[in-house]
Amino acid sequence: MAKSFDRRRLLTGAALGAAGVVTGSAFGSFAPEAALAAEPTPGIDPGMPDPNFAEGLIRSISDDTISALGSDGTLWRVRVTSGTSVWKLKPTTFDNVAVGDGMYARGAVLDDGTIAADSVWANIVNLKAHVTSIGEQKLYLDHNDERVIAHVIPGTTAAVYNGTPAISDVSMVKVDSHVQVLGAWLPGTNEIEISTIYAAA
Amino acid sequence: MQAPLVGVVLLWSASVKLFTRRGRLRSQTTALSKLLGEQRAALAYRGLGGIEALLGLALLTPPLWWPKPAAVIVMAIGFAGYLTYARIHAPESSCGCMSATHVPISWRGYSRAGWLLAAGILGLFANQFWFTALTGEPVVLAAVMVGEAVLFIALSPEFDGAWLVPLRRLRVAVTDPLGGDNDSIPLDATVTRLHHSDLYRHVAPALRTDVHEHWDEDEYRFITYGAEYDGSKATAVFAVPLRSDAPEPIRVALVNEETGETLIQLDHAPEEAETPEWALSRGSTPAGSTVG
Repeated sequence: MAKSFDRRRLLTGAALGAAGVVTGSAFGSFAPEAALAAEPTPGIDPGMPDPNFAEGLIRSISDDTISALGSDGTLWRVRVTSGTSVWKLKPTTFDNVAVGDGMYARGAVLDDGTIAADSVWANIVNLKAHVTSIGEQKLYLDHNDERVIAHVIPGTTAAVYNGTPAISDVSMVKVDSHVQVLGAWLPGTNEIEISTIYAAA
Repeated sequence: MQAPLVGVVLLWSASVKLFTRRGRLRSQTTALSKLLGEQRAALAYRGLGGIEALLGLALLTPPLWWPKPAAVIVMAIGFAGYLTYARIHAPESSCGCMSATHVPISWRGYSRAGWLLAAGILGLFANQFWFTALTGEPVVLAAVMVGEAVLFIALSPEFDGAWLVPLRRLRVAVTDPLGGDNDSIPLDATVTRLHHSDLYRHVAPALRTDVHEHWDEDEYRFITYGAEYDGSKATAVFAVPLRSDAPEPIRVALVNEETGETLIQLDHAPEEAETPEWALSRGSTPAGSTVG
């Protein structure tokens, strides 16, 4: 905890910087293009799978490595480090990822076929659905004739109405309207938790 | 006593199939097109409408004749069989039953076929033409008819817009099950604002991860990403003012966390004019894509 606090203080200070500082001229160039766009990402032929992307159901987790079975039968090994961003309904930490979760990962393929993940998303879903009913902190959705129960998580769920900036008030979603929901699937159920809901109001 | 109700329902169903301009198109989204092929589906759809119309008219007019309810029973069984076929072989199709709306096949469709079946069976035992019966006991029979009509409407998804949706909206309005605004600013709002900023577009090519961490401090929300700077790992930390109308700009720093040194710190994206010549001419990357 203390370490995390120190780290945040370091980063906070760095971001806000000293008053009046506009660019980091102390380290040479003030134009970061050269360093930022260091190497262009090699293009991928149309229709070919992205070699740096993995997807599957998590079968086991040992230390920092996820084993996942892809939907096409591929077995993936994904290595997660402290520098990997982990998303499960919201930005979170690796210990919240569990066996049985659906996993999407992006990173760099190592020589042994393992993917060193930059980012991992667990259970992420993106549904376009119809709101058939609204209950206590949940929406009943019709998604391609399948019933999906979408839970509103106060403090996490955000709503975007007509493309305006997200707010925490979900109550403007109407029964019998179309919505798009970005959320996290609850494995083994037809339920999801809503991260962001896009609706008309 | 079911005869007039069934008759009206069949006539209405027939009119949708026969007289709507989109009837031909409609038939192709129903399971019929899978059953019979697209060419024949339209013909079958209209043909079914014709049979429904004839039977509906027959039920509404005298005399009382047992083959009429028998035909209703046959139709009810046929509908249930068709629903089952459609559910198994073309689950994505509309049942195409009684209106132009897309209606998935569900237990309500079966209940409605069951309702038709029950009406047909009861019709077999009728010993009076419905109009004669109605004049005999108007109040009781009218109440029964209204009750059955309500049941039919409740079972028909086509009518949901008229009663179920308003009812659900009313319940939501009264109970307010989702609560209101809890005054917190969702991360999504900050991230979207960040994504729209020139500064983010300027730095984005260096970012390697999704949002790594975020915390709020002193009217700012700090959002970190993993980044790469000059070939080595770095942390990009953005400071975004929480209030969207705050005068402070969005700021960013790239930090090497191992050494603790700040590699670069910006509070606005450099204008194109500020980009030095050597950066523009380097490589084939057009200035627009990196400067944003």
